Amino acid sequence: MKKPKIGVYNCHCGGNISDTVEVAKVKKDISKCPGVEVCETYEYMCSKPGQDMIERDIKERKLNGVVVASCSPRMHLDTFRGAGKRAGLNPYLLDMANIREQCSWVHDNKQLATNKATDLIRGLTERVQHLEPLEARNMPVNKDVAVIGGGIAGILASIELADKGYKVYLVERDPSIGGHMAQLSKTFPTLDCSACILTPKMVYVSQHPNIEIIDMAEPVAVSGSPGNYEVDLRIRPRYVDKEKCTACGECAKVCPVKKVNNHEEGLTQEKCIHLPFKQAVPAAYVIDKEHCLWFDKGVCRVCEKFCKGKAVAFDQKEEKRQLKVGAIITCTGYQQLDAELSKELLNGWNALSQYGFGLHPDVVTNLQFERLMLQGMHKPSNGKPPKKVAFVLCVGSRMDHGIQYCCKIGCMNAIKQSLLLLKAFPEAEPWVFYTDIRAHGKGYEEFYSKARDHNVKFIRGRVAEVVPDGDHLIVRAEDTILGRHIEETFDLVVLSPALLPNTGTSELSKMLRVDLGEDGFFLERHHKLRPVDSKMEGVYLAGCALGPKDIRETTIETMATASKVATFLGRGEVSVSPEKAYITPEKCNGCGVCFTHCPAKAIESTSKGVVINSISCTGCGVCVPKCPAEAIDLTQSSDAQLLAQVKGTIEGPGESPRILAFLEKTTAYGSADLAGQTRVPYSSNVRIISVPSTGRVGSKHVLQAFASGADGVILIEGDDSQFREDGIRDHVNSIKKELGKFGIESLRVISTTTTLPQYDKVVNLFQTFDERITKMGRVAPEKRHKIAQTLAGGK
Amino acid sequence: MNKHPSNQAVCQTDPSFIEEIRKIPGGDKILDCIQCGVCAGSCHARFAMDYSPMQILKMAHLGLKQEVLSSSTIWICASCYTCASRCPRSLNIPAIMSGFKHMAMKNNVKAPIELKPKFHKAFTEIVGKYGRMHEPALQLKLTKKTSPRQLLHNASLGVRMLRKGKLNLKPSKLASTTRFSRVVEKTLKEET
Amino acid sequence: MKYAYFPGCSIHASAKEYEMAAQAVNKQLDIEFVEIPDWNCCGSIDAVHAYNPLLSVTLAARNLALAEAMSLDIVTLCSACFFTLSRANNVLREDAAMKAKVDKALAEAGLKYSGGVKVRHYLDILTNDVGLDKIRQQVKAPLKGLKVAPYYGCLIVRPTGIQKFDDAEHPMSMDRIVGTLGAEAVYYQDKTRCCGASLVITDEDVMLEMAKSPLLTAKKAQADCLVTPCPMCHFNLDAKQKDIESRFKIDIGLPVLYITQLMGLAFGLSPKELGLHRNIVSPSKIVEKAKASSQVPTKVS
Repeated sequence: MKKPKIGVYNCHCGGNISDTVEVAKVKKDISKCPGVEVCETYEYMCSKPGQDMIERDIKERKLNGVVVASCSPRMHLDTFRGAGKRAGLNPYLLDMANIREQCSWVHDNKQLATNKATDLIRGLTERVQHLEPLEARNMPVNKDVAVIGGGIAGILASIELADKGYKVYLVERDPSIGGHMAQLSKTFPTLDCSACILTPKMVYVSQHPNIEIIDMAEPVAVSGSPGNYEVDLRIRPRYVDKEKCTACGECAKVCPVKKVNNHEEGLTQEKCIHLPFKQAVPAAYVIDKEHCLWFDKGVCRVCEKFCKGKAVAFDQKEEKRQLKVGAIITCTGYQQLDAELSKELLNGWNALSQYGFGLHPDVVTNLQFERLMLQGMHKPSNGKPPKKVAFVLCVGSRMDHGIQYCCKIGCMNAIKQSLLLLKAFPEAEPWVFYTDIRAHGKGYEEFYSKARDHNVKFIRGRVAEVVPDGDHLIVRAEDTILGRHIEETFDLVVLSPALLPNTGTSELSKMLRVDLGEDGFFLERHHKLRPVDSKMEGVYLAGCALGPKDIRETTIETMATASKVATFLGRGEVSVSPEKAYITPEKCNGCGVCFTHCPAKAIESTSKGVVINSISCTGCGVCVPKCPAEAIDLTQSSDAQLLAQVKGTIEGPGESPRILAFLEKTTAYGSADLAGQTRVPYSSNVRIISVPSTGRVGSKHVLQAFASGADGVILIEGDDSQFREDGIRDHVNSIKKELGKFGIESLRVISTTTTLPQYDKVVNLFQTFDERITKMGRVAPEKRHKIAQTLAGGK
Repeated sequence: MNKHPSNQAVCQTDPSFIEEIRKIPGGDKILDCIQCGVCAGSCHARFAMDYSPMQILKMAHLGLKQEVLSSSTIWICASCYTCASRCPRSLNIPAIMSGFKHMAMKNNVKAPIELKPKFHKAFTEIVGKYGRMHEPALQLKLTKKTSPRQLLHNASLGVRMLRKGKLNLKPSKLASTTRFSRVVEKTLKEET
Repeated sequence: MKYAYFPGCSIHASAKEYEMAAQAVNKQLDIEFVEIPDWNCCGSIDAVHAYNPLLSVTLAARNLALAEAMSLDIVTLCSACFFTLSRANNVLREDAAMKAKVDKALAEAGLKYSGGVKVRHYLDILTNDVGLDKIRQQVKAPLKGLKVAPYYGCLIVRPTGIQKFDDAEHPMSMDRIVGTLGAEAVYYQDKTRCCGASLVITDEDVMLEMAKSPLLTAKKAQADCLVTPCPMCHFNLDAKQKDIESRFKIDIGLPVLYITQLMGLAFGLSPKELGLHRNIVSPSKIVEKAKASSQVPTKVS
């Protein structure tokens, strides 16, 4: 092995680290470690001077490995590897010690935090000495793109990419594209007509040679890898031939069945065979199977008889189709809160019933108000113009026991609707009942002022109840500014319901192998720096799929995703990580045990022997400890590297119990980072090591941990990992069995899974396990000695 | 000088008040209140209160202990739970109001209507003694704090109830009075 | 269906008729009440709790322990008792420190509670255990043409952490039962508005103002009577109705029946056994209507 010359760079992070971790002491201790050539500290290691320092040392001191002790590698690993690369150091020879999210941000005691930081860094310096230079490989990609969701986000994303020359499949679940924006009357704050700005885009999409709209379609499975995805679609039958339909409307005239008109938010009815709305694209009729007499009772088919173009096609069947694309953009939008969703999300509480929704026809949602505006503003109960209108904000929103977030557009919508109402009826009296007026965007505060100038009444107080009283509605609230009770009678009440992720979000996130946030919306990779990336390479997010927002912000996000997709696919190839499992042929006896354990099904028997497909291999490492001949290893997480890191992390001096936590590197590790970002404290006895998956960790690593001084071991896998429950359970049991041979109690090992937002669960586990281990006491030195002897001798 | 409560500058705050409130079951969430006002808007007894429930919580945030404990609000709360069921922060406001009553009685803060704290004391004493409520005994205990007009009024209602057989002159007692008393005694010794 | 029956203090005094009618109705519906031997006052919401929170939980816990010894779940006719016993049940489950103190006190009487009892209100039993069909089957004198304003009050629908069998804002369980009895449950604004509860003793003026609302809006909705599942509410709306009328110089004259009394009438039981002579505002018109209805031959379907 080469003579190690490791450079260690300890960041202060502007006090975020150095206020808790005594960086000077760490520098002193780490400088003494064997193999460490230099150890420096600096205020902001990621800044230019910081990176320059690293580059300079690599060149001048001929370093062959670098450890940057700072924030989480999920933040800046690429940044520092870039610096290393510029100085001629292979990027895989640089690694990071997380002493911020997983140390200084979660521990208060300076001495303990400093000791832990030193231990973590020492572990990394040991690991880095065993790292080998690696090269990423390039693979050709498919340059087509799938956009899921045909609302404004999906439409704009498709146009951006199509104009750049990419072939785009715009997949839409409904019979027409357009989404909720097609339902709006005017948009705030400019009062542009929504349909006027949307429909030209819809037409452009339908005529663009690079865009194919696939309507009535939704994904049922997604497979493949970044740059080469397969999206399986289920396409429901429209029962009308789009090519033949001229949208003349003769069929609807004779159809005997009436049903609720969804585009009109249930305010009116339409025929079972109907055009989704006037400006629908594709401009073709569709039959609603649930209401059709033919499908229900085997009678009617009158529409077919009257269709001159012979476009009605009752024999249409559901179709399957597979799209081969390089990237996917998720633009699935939102849905509004209703009674069912409210009961599901708010512990059985129907947030709409408190306001009389469903009890009286003149209590409507803000979307319904938009439709009323377009139909000619009137009270649903009697068709007369409304005089006094109450706008009730935050219905079901900002509830800490369910829907915690703000709907973001409620305030601006109410202000807009107040002004539109006044334009239609100058004598009308709009009252807006708010908790906070959120007028954050460009031109919004000015718009709010305009409303006040027009004598729109603003009452600061969350509405207590709306009570139907004959023809009218009584609204009760406290004017919290005056400290007086308000009880006023209104003609119309407009509710601002919470906005939720659209139906199917959860299923789609599982198909795409991406995360959802605590709020149920798709989760971006990083809040500030990667707001439209998902955690899966090649899968991007835009619009309300990420969380409620206005049209302008949606547009901006779609521009961003289109740019990201173009960057990803633009070169025509994608680089494949070199972090893969590989077999040493001389050691392999062809037993085939590894086949069954590989979650990605990447191992196969060929004429040349047992081979691992390096494209399919996800580098999880589950196969490695399973091989009885120890013929498999994993680059960048080899046995030597892992053992070295275990030893280095645990061996340090000190009396406290030591707990080594192996966390799967993306979801579980990310969750621990979230705990750090949220500053949730836990015991400093816990030291975290990142592993590709907990399946990578074998008995020998756990034994080494105990031999080196650990008293407990935690294994946390990501909930979405391909390494699953049964596999995890069996794996952990086999480890415990091995430990049992040395008298290590099985209670000293614990394993669980977590989702990314469940950092509470992770911290809770750390704390309760720490209490357990503290109670059980430290492992007896004789046991450690015996393990060490066995490891040195036998293996 | 016009000393109306609404134009007093915030003063005489007691920083330990919040900690005391946190000890009330349900009181640990007191700082979660976002002052939205749905409790005040919902309160069926708001019309009779000097401060709305929301204002009481705000005053608590600011440590205005004396004002909170001497308000009429805390004594008028009927524990109807309308506020709590609608509160976006799921604050158990009736429990907090009850806690304030308890604090007021413990700290000997005079209630605007003295009959109210007397009621809680009298009710507890009777139930502690007999194991069950006995209306005549309760009325008797509260006589001193009840106005003569009200007493006459109560008496006439009492007669009407007696006629319909809806009032028992004799208390309904438990069979195991001794053992029950032991339970009560043990609890009184342990009082938080 | 057998339950540990917790009457509560009002039942033996001002609300005897509620229990009389319940016993009569239970016979028709195969419900068996086994009265908890030597039960004590639940603590009555805040009456004890504001003065001595620990004693309040202990008092409730003694009843829970007695019911647990019977291996039965508790049913109560009173909304206040339902709330008070349920609250104690939850507290004992969540607050280990308090449970320890309560355990010590109960041990003085040789009692023990390990958390195994469910506390339910009679209305929940009728809705979920008996079911509307069974109730409908017992109706011999459908109350046709009778307009009933179901008054729920507070503690049978709130807080939602304790009660889960009906909607807190627009409950319908009693409305549906009224429907099965052949009567019409009218919509009116104040079905869950507070009656004033114990303010009847400590601040009568406020209580009268509060109880006035449901009576007036029920009257405006042309109800013939109110029906309620709580003795406290019943007292404030029935016994105090005359005071409300004279204080505000209004005319109400709405009889207030217990849900069991209304059910009993529809089942064809006698007004006497339903205790209707004890209601303060005369329910004679309602009784007459029921009598007239039972004489109309029922349709053969």
